[in-house]
Amino acid sequence: MASVAAAIDPGEDALAEPRAAAIRKAALAAGADVVGIAPVHRWDEFVPEGCRPYDILPGAKSVIAVGVRGPTAGGWLSPEHRLMEVNGYDFANDRVVHVLADHIEREYRYRAIMAPGLPIAGHQPLFSMMLAAVLTGLGTRSLAANIILNPKYGLLYYSACITTLELPPDSMLEQDVCPHPMCVQVYKHGGKTPCMAACPKDEGGCLDGAIGDDGRIESSYYDRERCVSRAMNFGINSFQKALEQIANEDDPERRRTMIHSDFFGRSCEGIAFFKESVAQCFECMRVCPIGRAERKLK
Amino acid sequence: MNADDPATTDAKTGATMDSTMAANKAELVEFARKGGALVTGVADAGAFAAAMAGQRPTDLLPEAKTVIVVGGAPPRAGDWQVPNYLHMETTSTSDRMFALANRIAQFVERRFGYYAVAVPSGVDRARQPFLSLALAAELAGCGTPSLAGPVLNPEHGFLYFAALLTSLPLPVDGPLAEPVCPAPECRTMWDEQGTTPCLAVCPIDAGGCLGGRLENGRVAERRYDVARCTTRAQNSFIPGFQKALEAVFDEPDKERRRMILWGSQFTRTLWSMSYSNVSQCQCFECMRVCPAGRARRELR
Amino acid sequence: MGFFHVDPAVYREYKDRVLELSQAIQINYPEHLPPEKRKPGLSDRQIAAQLGLDERVVREIRCVAEREYYPADEWERALEFKERACREFAQTGLAGVTKKYIQRAKAAKAK
Repeated sequence: MASVAAAIDPGEDALAEPRAAAIRKAALAAGADVVGIAPVHRWDEFVPEGCRPYDILPGAKSVIAVGVRGPTAGGWLSPEHRLMEVNGYDFANDRVVHVLADHIEREYRYRAIMAPGLPIAGHQPLFSMMLAAVLTGLGTRSLAANIILNPKYGLLYYSACITTLELPPDSMLEQDVCPHPMCVQVYKHGGKTPCMAACPKDEGGCLDGAIGDDGRIESSYYDRERCVSRAMNFGINSFQKALEQIANEDDPERRRTMIHSDFFGRSCEGIAFFKESVAQCFECMRVCPIGRAERKLK
Repeated sequence: MNADDPATTDAKTGATMDSTMAANKAELVEFARKGGALVTGVADAGAFAAAMAGQRPTDLLPEAKTVIVVGGAPPRAGDWQVPNYLHMETTSTSDRMFALANRIAQFVERRFGYYAVAVPSGVDRARQPFLSLALAAELAGCGTPSLAGPVLNPEHGFLYFAALLTSLPLPVDGPLAEPVCPAPECRTMWDEQGTTPCLAVCPIDAGGCLGGRLENGRVAERRYDVARCTTRAQNSFIPGFQKALEAVFDEPDKERRRMILWGSQFTRTLWSMSYSNVSQCQCFECMRVCPAGRARRELR
Repeated sequence: MGFFHVDPAVYREYKDRVLELSQAIQINYPEHLPPEKRKPGLSDRQIAAQLGLDERVVREIRCVAEREYYPADEWERALEFKERACREFAQTGLAGVTKKYIQRAKAAKAK
């Protein structure tokens, strides 16, 4: 398909800054807590050929990532872990990206897409929102399940827009968000940061790592498969696990009790409401000091 | 309506029912536009003779006088350009119009005091719709049926539609006078090659879903293989889930059963069912080549 | 034929290797680490190239292996873990989580 305006328009350069400002304003007005922009070639170092933004959208020049807070401060306070697990996700980040993509196509006449973040094979998505958050300067990777932590808010949910519109980029963060100085001290005195202590690999958990003398992450370990059993406790994965046992159960009576069990029932509910409850373990984030100030309310 | 008739004239303002309803409609259209609709139309609830019994507006809301249809949230110009089909498969369904229809229904009831209910976007028994949104869109003047199947809008081409039924007696729009399909480019292609873009990309006589014939620039015959289209447009949705589950229970070998249950296809069907709001529609190839609304996709 | 799924014998032969190369266990992912230290998991295509398999076969092996990695008991243990961790934090806060490690370290130092 032939593209319009293939020739370089010198006027476009002058419009880049005001457009970036308008996009940021639109993102915050639509509900984003943070917004960042990166040029597509930042992905070259971290992502194999065929999986980069310009492989997804030919001609792509920029990626805009937005982050929103997930559970409310009140949700974090609840001693019932199940409350946040079925109530933690409201898609504000996706809504913001829809606003931005519509804005770019309608107002600036450049192509824009919502970056595809759903898994397409097992756990694998076409595009990593976590990496987008790092490369657009919204946060840095942490010891806690590789979660990208924002310096002000800590845990955020991210979505991204890939566009052929060239925008002035933001820098990646120079200062690591993780580890927090408090965590460095705890590690010095106990050999574990709070997140590692909450979910330690050597006691059947998901996390391990080391902080160097320079106060930076020296090494990290994250057992994603164990984390899946916790963070996606009831949903697609548990449904498949249970269905395999049900299908392979020869005794019809036992099969019946399995089908009608609370575990399988909750797995079915999890499938139906997975959108809202795809994040089902917050224990490493519960103890994380980053963004804690934002959760102290009346 | 008679301006001197007290039953149709407001005693205080002197406004007639006609002018009041026209003003109400204008307000509703503006509400829909602000909510994201690209097109809004009103159909007469009594005009659904072509619908099956049980799927007419008055079957769902006996008091229904009109059907308000909104269309919008199509895949973006960028989406159509992505060469990996999995992108549109996981992002390009949209339930934003249904959410808008719900909001409009609430607005009608609270603002005007008439009954309103959004037509469910999900299916009724035996996978039948509650009401044909395609027929509603056609009768409301939002577009015309196409050889490929979807109702096409003259300006925007492929759109997602939603509808609500209401007892509010709005002035109706009629069906469009001129069909959008076949587009001029398609008529030329038919004359020169005996096919159109959509028929060429998915030909029913070569394992595809679509067949048909043009005559004097109009669609004279249409063939559509629903079952095959389902394998493509709902590849990893409920039909795919059911197929995989059937294969599981038919498989005598327990290890092989595990390969099916935990394999990528079955896993995908579960994600699609969970995220049906963005992932239900999984084939766009006939619309990818459709020239209707193509000007809107010509971006930089 | 039905739809594509991996042969159990092929699965058994390659699953450990595929998992090892994938993103199942994530070691040294932080972007600030030097490239020689980072161990990002490979894509299905990259794994297929290394093992001499079809990309589609690798994808199927990975999907099944991800699901098989832990038994269903682990999902039950997850419930116990979260119930305990959430309630303890509500009662004792951060100190409840880190106390035992600090005490252990002190005790080890004292020896």
